[in-house]
Amino acid sequence: MNWRRLNNVLHRDIGYLAVGLTVVYGVSGVAVNHVRDWNPSYRVQKTMMTIEPIRAIDRAEIIREAREKLGVTQEPRNAFRPDPETLQLFFRDGNYSIDLPTGQVIIEHARPRPVLFEMNQMHLNTPKRLWTVVADVYAVGLIVLAITGMFVLKGKTGITGRGAWLTGAGVLLPVVYWVFHLYME
Amino acid sequence: MRRMFVATAIVMIGVAVGVSAAVKKYGKDLTLKETTKISDIYAKTESFNGKRVKVRGAIVEVCEMKGCWIALASDQEFQTIRFKVDDGVIVFPMDAKGLTATVEGVVTVTEETEAQQIEHGQMMAKEMGKPFDPKTVKGPKTVVMIKGEAAEVQ
Repeated sequence: MNWRRLNNVLHRDIGYLAVGLTVVYGVSGVAVNHVRDWNPSYRVQKTMMTIEPIRAIDRAEIIREAREKLGVTQEPRNAFRPDPETLQLFFRDGNYSIDLPTGQVIIEHARPRPVLFEMNQMHLNTPKRLWTVVADVYAVGLIVLAITGMFVLKGKTGITGRGAWLTGAGVLLPVVYWVFHLYME
Repeated sequence: MRRMFVATAIVMIGVAVGVSAAVKKYGKDLTLKETTKISDIYAKTESFNGKRVKVRGAIVEVCEMKGCWIALASDQEFQTIRFKVDDGVIVFPMDAKGLTATVEGVVTVTEETEAQQIEHGQMMAKEMGKPFDPKTVKGPKTVVMIKGEAAEVQ
């Protein structure tokens, strides 16, 4: 097997293996790039309701009365009063913020966005441990893909012809942007 | 080829099992042994300024956009402290609210002018999807937070 044949086989097979992860990193990349505009991993829903005002004064009594008026039998994970007129109750599947004198309640549910949540976890390497190895191997695979990709074709469309111009443009893009970022922005 | 596919599938399942194990540690390891009360930090802000501390409290707020900070309930009512990490270093999940976090970092105490508070308040309102009224800002304010890179949530 000559070197070009080996190069092309490597490029082809690594390319097949990289499809799944490239989609994961690509989709998640776009999602997290716009993190200033939305939460890419969670959908946060807030709804309002009104209950009877809470009359109790003692903390434990306030919590008991609030749960009773909300019709919640479950024990909260935690309870907190950010100020004298507000009680926050935290449950596994949602949180309540209650304005004690008026009985106005904000119910908050944070649900992971299906598929996108998992993609973002992998992209941001939240799991660490074994996933770090997978991500490193994938990154090296991408470098190999890029290098072998330059030598797949020979002739006018290869690296000595059109390929040289396109590769040069691809290398220049980050360099020009960085110079612009440093001195112009 | 079929054997190769089966071997790849086995490796993938192994990776998935490793990934799905619940991870509750965020960022670096906690190193300090002693836990400081949040109320103590507020009682002596100047002496804690610049000091490395480990604190513990219920997570009562999470940055809704980037998960780059959490607010911890103090041991005293009506008091919280913000634990801030550099963007991307740790991403706290939204469903961590109500869980208890132990965090480690350096206490920073800053004086915010009215203009800074308004700018900060507007930014926070956008992040948290809550209204903000600049008229509520009255005079300079001391802001205490912990900047860190290590947390454990349980």
